[in-house]
Amino acid sequence: MNAWILAATILLGAGLTAALWGVASGPLSRRMVAQNLTTAVACPSLLLLAQGYHRPSYVDLALLLALLGPVGTLVFARLLADELAVATPAAWGLTWTAAGVSAAVVVAVCAATGPSRAMVKLLVTGVLLIGGNLVASRALQGGFRQVRGG
Amino acid sequence: MADAVIVVVLLLVAATATAAVATRDPSRQALVLSLQGVVLAVLFTVLQAPDVALSQLAVGSALTPLLIMLSVRKVRRRARTTDEGGDG
Repeated sequence: MNAWILAATILLGAGLTAALWGVASGPLSRRMVAQNLTTAVACPSLLLLAQGYHRPSYVDLALLLALLGPVGTLVFARLLADELAVATPAAWGLTWTAAGVSAAVVVAVCAATGPSRAMVKLLVTGVLLIGGNLVASRALQGGFRQVRGG
Repeated sequence: MADAVIVVVLLLVAATATAAVATRDPSRQALVLSLQGVVLAVLFTVLQAPDVALSQLAVGSALTPLLIMLSVRKVRRRARTTDEGGDG
């Protein structure tokens, strides 16, 4: 077990336990925020695992999750819009913390990879992850009202 | 020690599945299910099966919740129209 896998274990254990606790209890707004947190925790963990196992092809998993995670959150935001309109979830502190953790992980893995095509893939994954996280958080907070009414 | 990550992810799978069973409302259950899809994908990755994890991610994180939410929506809408239409 090297340091990358240890970091992934700690991130998975702490982050996903918090997400599970949030998604299984409390009001709907908290559950939505916790569901959004899942992507922000699991995707950097997959990047760390890919680096830890020395298998660059595992980065595909993180790339797919960075693409599909925000889509899932947007599906919930769209279909639960009526219930969410009563109490809009707002957790910008958590959003920026997750974005910071994602950026730190991407920078660390990029530094270990060195300049190559694999590093470009890592950077694309990081941009998709942080951008998707911000878009999903904004949609949960009540942005895009005109879209939501349709 | 090298298997610590497998143990952690297995415990997470067990806890998430229990939470999914214990949640009663279907729309909230779909939220827990999407979390469980991601945790299962991480488990497959840790067990060195990235191809299975790819399909699990595609199905579990977006498709299953979408299907459940659309079904719940349709059932609720039908119940509402039945109430308004009397015996219809």
